[in-house]
Amino acid sequence: MNNERNPIIERLHRQSLQQQEAFLDHIAHRLGRERITTPPARPFAGAPDFWRGFTLEAEERISLFLSNWESLGGVAKRVRSMDDARAYIADLTDRMQAKRLVCEEHPLLADLLPEGDKEREVTVWGGGDPAHLLKKAAEADIGVAVADFAIAYTGTLVLTSSPARGRSISLLPAVFIGIVRAADIRTKMGEVLSVIRTWDGGRMPAGIHFVTGPSRSADIENDLTIGVHGPGSVHALVVDEVDGR
Amino acid sequence: MSGHNPTSTLAERVRIALNNDFLRNAVRFTTERLRTNKQAAAEQIGNWEEWRERGRQIRLHTIAHLDYYLAQFAENLRRAGGYVHFASTAEEAVAITLQIMAAKQAKSVVKSKSMVSEEVHINQALEEQGIETVETDLGEYIIQLAGETPSHIIIPAIHKNKAQVAELFSEVAGEPLPADTAVLAAFARSKLRGKFLEADIGMTGCNFAIAESGSIVLFSNEGNARMVSTVPRTQITMMGMERILPSWEDLEVMATLLPRSATGQKLTVYMSAINGPRRTADGDGPDELHVIIIDNGRSRQLGDPEFQEVLNCIRCGACLNACPVYRHIGGHAYGWVYSGPIGAVLTPVLNEEKEKWAEVANASTLCGACYEACPVKIPLHDMLVYIRRRNVEEGRTKRTERLGMKTYKVAVSSHRFYQLALKLGRIGQKPLVRDGQIPTRLGPLKGWNNVRTAPALAERSFRESWQALERELQQEMAEMSPQVKARLEELAGKRGDRHEQ
Repeated sequence: MNNERNPIIERLHRQSLQQQEAFLDHIAHRLGRERITTPPARPFAGAPDFWRGFTLEAEERISLFLSNWESLGGVAKRVRSMDDARAYIADLTDRMQAKRLVCEEHPLLADLLPEGDKEREVTVWGGGDPAHLLKKAAEADIGVAVADFAIAYTGTLVLTSSPARGRSISLLPAVFIGIVRAADIRTKMGEVLSVIRTWDGGRMPAGIHFVTGPSRSADIENDLTIGVHGPGSVHALVVDEVDGR
Repeated sequence: MSGHNPTSTLAERVRIALNNDFLRNAVRFTTERLRTNKQAAAEQIGNWEEWRERGRQIRLHTIAHLDYYLAQFAENLRRAGGYVHFASTAEEAVAITLQIMAAKQAKSVVKSKSMVSEEVHINQALEEQGIETVETDLGEYIIQLAGETPSHIIIPAIHKNKAQVAELFSEVAGEPLPADTAVLAAFARSKLRGKFLEADIGMTGCNFAIAESGSIVLFSNEGNARMVSTVPRTQITMMGMERILPSWEDLEVMATLLPRSATGQKLTVYMSAINGPRRTADGDGPDELHVIIIDNGRSRQLGDPEFQEVLNCIRCGACLNACPVYRHIGGHAYGWVYSGPIGAVLTPVLNEEKEKWAEVANASTLCGACYEACPVKIPLHDMLVYIRRRNVEEGRTKRTERLGMKTYKVAVSSHRFYQLALKLGRIGQKPLVRDGQIPTRLGPLKGWNNVRTAPALAERSFRESWQALERELQQEMAEMSPQVKARLEELAGKRGDRHEQ
């Protein structure tokens, strides 16, 4: 993204490279030693051992995720197939009288609404002008995306950004529907972090979002308020069998 | 504008806080709720002490190797296409920010919560340039409209009631809004939604920066930090230089400790890792990402065995909720950006005007509840003693206090002087004693007696009573069982031996 640098930014960048050395030298000096340039040994890193060994069976993971998501104020459903998931989405769209949807470009989400539905507009993310996509997401009533993972212990959906999966989908609409394959539910966060860390030779997605329930605030007199900036209504659909469409 | 650079003294600010009934009730209620939630969350996951110890180890290691991890972070973030800037002072951080604003010809900024940005007074600097700056965390938005500063790290506007919020929002809306939380929150949502979509720049703080990938990690519940890092074309992130973590696996530990300690949540609603600007084909996320790494007094703590550990802080606010002093006076009495025990330490050590901030370290009973609550085990109560000691050593105390201490030193350094002082005291106190108490608020007893009464000196000192007491003891010993008596005599014999040596 830095091909054509603004002259001010270019100057700041050069200045930063110089300042960095003085800044880091000063830190080393305060610590009373020379600069360290080789990776320090780490006798203690990451979670304690007892936690690393903690893992749940597949069925336990599914039910723990569902109950955590529900207790946060979200709606959690376990469905057998994507057909059932599509039926749930269509039904929710009807009940809400939603007019606009924005969804990730994903094989599982093709034909999201019944054919010939002229009443509703579905914007599929994936390519196109960012300003247009942003506008569509901001107008949408419902956003739909497929989560990379879910974390059972905290009741969390993990959504990485990509050209097909905008961050706005799970953020701007008032309602968000997150779909996760039952096989993608992990027991705890560490299992997800270690996988994402090594994706694509360490070139991670630009945004990795851990979503744990509906947007909330207690900033006014400790009153719990749902849906402050992000979606206030969040639906997690755990799909058992995925036909690979 | 109140706070951040007060001209009042600590005692004056405390008096104002103690006279504000709503504030005191709200602070008590909020801290009680957060503390109870934290306790439940710690019990829920179990092995809390092991988590704390691991958190402490990770933070200690990181700070001890800070130059290495900052260099690694900068290299990786640049590789991901982001810009890194280094600011030694608040002024440098502001100057860098304003240059980025100029390069982008920015007219408006949306901000998510950042304590370090409050340290450098960035809002003021931006407003002076005519750049509209909007705080988007609901609590921060409220106090920005009121022209005030946060009274709690996690819940900045606990000192405002619904009616006051309704008044502030009504002014913005241009129509009266009811004092109803749902209505007020909905108004803020729609108002701020417009600001997000129009803003040229999004500014965020940084909960953690991960060295091994050049990522910044933001925790939020409302989603405003996500908005700020998703919608505007340019993102500027301010981070205190100590916010770093070596690796992703360390994040799991902090993600366990921070939300549980702050609000008792298993995880905040959103935890977002930002790895550089958006990828070329991505449909959203910032085109340009700038991270400003700020020192502003932090490096002075490095290499200082008494204070280096204060850089381990993860800004959860648990020490505020545990502190008996904070629970009575709330955040504004501390005078600067940070409040509670962590504020009582950070304020005098990060600021260069030692004279001005010396007394903040007195806002503590040294009970150690802050240390017990701290998820990374920072010995804040010890640090408060060190600050007080330095204040004495460097002459930052009142003249009367110094005089009093000198007198005391003379009186207690010789038995004869001490006896004499007691005698004089017993005579001198006679006109002042009422029912064994000295209630007067005059002279040197004013400070103490304003909120309690001093006990009168006893008729006879313990030493003078000793002969009678010893006789009583011997009489009682006669009734003791032979074994106990033998044991006591044996002990007394040993003690006698030592005295003779």
